[in-house]
Amino acid sequence: MENNLAPTYQYLFGEHWVLWYSTSNSYSIVEPSFKTILNYYLQSETIECFATKVSNDDKTIDTKAISITIANYLNSCNEYVNSIAHKNLEIDFTHRRILKQYAIKDKIIQIYFDSELVLKTIHPALAHCLIEPNDNAQITFDIYLKNEQLYLFKDEKIISCVPKRDYHLIQGKFIMQLLCSIHNKEENDWIGTFHGSTITNGSKSILFVGESGKGKSTLCALLCANGFELLADDVSPMLSKNKNIYFNPSAISIKQGAFNVLQPIIPNFDNLPIVQFNKTKGLIKYLPCRSPKKDNYKCATIILVNYENKSETILKTVSVKTLLERLIIDSWISPDISNAKQFLDWLGTIKIYELTYSDTKSVTQKITEIFK
Amino acid sequence: MKKQNTTSKITRKEAIKKMGKYAALTAVGTFVILNPLSAQSSSAPDPGGNPFG
Repeated sequence: MENNLAPTYQYLFGEHWVLWYSTSNSYSIVEPSFKTILNYYLQSETIECFATKVSNDDKTIDTKAISITIANYLNSCNEYVNSIAHKNLEIDFTHRRILKQYAIKDKIIQIYFDSELVLKTIHPALAHCLIEPNDNAQITFDIYLKNEQLYLFKDEKIISCVPKRDYHLIQGKFIMQLLCSIHNKEENDWIGTFHGSTITNGSKSILFVGESGKGKSTLCALLCANGFELLADDVSPMLSKNKNIYFNPSAISIKQGAFNVLQPIIPNFDNLPIVQFNKTKGLIKYLPCRSPKKDNYKCATIILVNYENKSETILKTVSVKTLLERLIIDSWISPDISNAKQFLDWLGTIKIYELTYSDTKSVTQKITEIFK
Repeated sequence: MKKQNTTSKITRKEAIKKMGKYAALTAVGTFVILNPLSAQSSSAPDPGGNPFG
């Protein structure tokens, strides 16, 4: 019944099934017992047939109630999400008030901002790439605020338009388009942009994920001061073709709460400019890092990071379920069917850990061991 | 994870839309539905405050 609502892909990882639904780009994690009943439901031509199959396994089950549960579950998994198209929005050139140019990899990128306020949302993380303006820009972005909406254009074509309170979506879209430009890719070439930071030892990389404020960027700053290289901070893009994570030129953003931890460890920390978004909130510093030797690295390890004051350094293996419950809801993952398959294939090959720490020396040592 | 009969406080649609996650315990096992972000985003919207007030 309702075979059109069946999952597109089904993967077993340890004790959990991970199902992907192409209609909605939803991922569902279910126990084997639930999967068995789901299969009966999808394979049965009638409710009576389904009831017979279920009763053969367990006569105590309320088959009518379960059939409703399964039907509701399938509807929830298949709820289609409309994507927003901005095809007809024309660029307004009168907002070109501030021009900045950046050299990133082999490209010259220029951005027109309409105000210092708008500039503050994008420029600080790329300030270390700033160059004197010249006529050689290969890609042009326009970012401006108009009628309470933030607009992002690339080479005069609309990319995104959001209410100003959703400025983080403009930041995310800008980074996506920047990554496409510097790596010569299209948006559809990526499995996703994971919400996490990636560190490399020069031959492979580790992706650090976790809730905001749990210490991912602080840990990466520590590791960069101890011989590792930053591949990406906050937005870690994975290419579908090779399942490698690619270089993101943004500097590491460090919240005020981490200043005292990093000040003794990062050379010249006090001289890093402070960015103040809002007078009532905290300050941010941006720490640029040396670019890694290659622009992409294989990633076979993910670590869920949890900074906990005064805790020992504890590393433990966790399940794909634990990872996905954090990773998926915080990340953009491509709705493309072949990219989803690449993502699921990759999940079957990686090691997943949870790391709790408070001591900077001990955690650096632990990460060094993991790389080996 | 929530039991199915307590989810009347928030509908499935609302849960998935707001949190990207909906979990339930049923008579035949648990399930969770996870939705990725529909568009790329930078980190949580308030790392240092909203510059636009």
